[in-house]
Amino acid sequence: MTIKIYTTPTCVYCKMAKEFFAKNNVQYEEVNVAVDATAREEMIQKSGQLGVPVIDINGTITVGFDQVKLSELLKV
Amino acid sequence: MLYDVIIVGGGPAATAAAVYTARKQLKTLVITESFGGQSIVSDDIQNWIGEQHISGFDLAKKFEEHVRSFGDIVEIKSPEKAIKISAIKCERAGFSCDFEVETELGNRYEGKSIIMTAGARRRKLGIPGEEAFNGKGVAYCSTCDAPLFSGKVVAVVGGGNAGLEAIIDLLPYATKTYLLIRGDSLKGDESTQNEIKKNPKVEIIFNAITDEIKGISMVTGLLYHDAVTNEKKELAIGGIFVEIGSVPNSEIVKDLVKIDAFGQIVVDKFSATSYSGIFAAGDITDDPFKQNNISAGDGVKAALSAYGYLLQLKKRSPATEKQ
Repeated sequence: MTIKIYTTPTCVYCKMAKEFFAKNNVQYEEVNVAVDATAREEMIQKSGQLGVPVIDINGTITVGFDQVKLSELLKV
Repeated sequence: MLYDVIIVGGGPAATAAAVYTARKQLKTLVITESFGGQSIVSDDIQNWIGEQHISGFDLAKKFEEHVRSFGDIVEIKSPEKAIKISAIKCERAGFSCDFEVETELGNRYEGKSIIMTAGARRRKLGIPGEEAFNGKGVAYCSTCDAPLFSGKVVAVVGGGNAGLEAIIDLLPYATKTYLLIRGDSLKGDESTQNEIKKNPKVEIIFNAITDEIKGISMVTGLLYHDAVTNEKKELAIGGIFVEIGSVPNSEIVKDLVKIDAFGQIVVDKFSATSYSGIFAAGDITDDPFKQNNISAGDGVKAALSAYGYLLQLKKRSPATEKQ
């Protein structure tokens, strides 16, 4: 399972999502779209959204931090 | 299971109430979508008493840890959202009732008393385009999303502290920011006002009534009119942050308790509502100051009042039967 999370450093919902991953021993890749313009474009392309966090779990995109939905997708 | 008290919410009022009901050994249930309250998105809270600087995220964690430390007496349902509260099993009509809290997950919980601390949510503009472009240039969390508006022209609506802080968050990224204010003056703190007024990238527009957000796949413009001259205007923008205050989350008890014109639950100095057995504290109430510290204090008051109410219930039941 590949997981990529697009974040900004001051986004509290990004922190919540990362903590949720850590608590459930989920490995993920993080990209900071505040500094990485290419990643920012990629995120907007994938999600059609201008808002973080965007989480890509095996190609399934979720916008924002929704613990219930993430639990379902990750089966944790 | 019949709880002594069910606390709805997870902000400072709810946390303080839970700590006090736990110490009174009341069997407590806390139902909340999350802990922390509205200031969870704040990067740096500087007025939480005892902490010179703390992030909303860290404060939220402390709240949750404190409530969870009473595991023997306080049960927590989170994330779970309460959607309806009803009075049940009343001894007489509207008198000495138990309460049932129904949640989005379809669960029903019963309690002898309720403490409503569900806070408030963001107020929206309610204009065409706002929903359609939500997340596509319309944003509500400047600390989260300001960096995404790098190189864009952005509008902020609202001249209170939240609006001013959104401008500060945007300054390093946006090429230009418009600050739109309904009235003819700024309301936020003087120190932040001064910082904004001297920045050449900020243009403040007074008497601005927003009419419509325009866009294609993302936001491209904002239509507004001048409240004094009625002149219609359009701004070319790539984003808009809405910071126009909050709406109390009081809908789930509106049929039981007295609510004022702003949707706030009316409480007395004991944090009691108009319905016997339902107490309320924090931003959901008509308390004039929406502050973390005040919400915490009022949460304590609600807990102590609920405790007093439960003691009274015990005393009253046998007497009532003799009548």
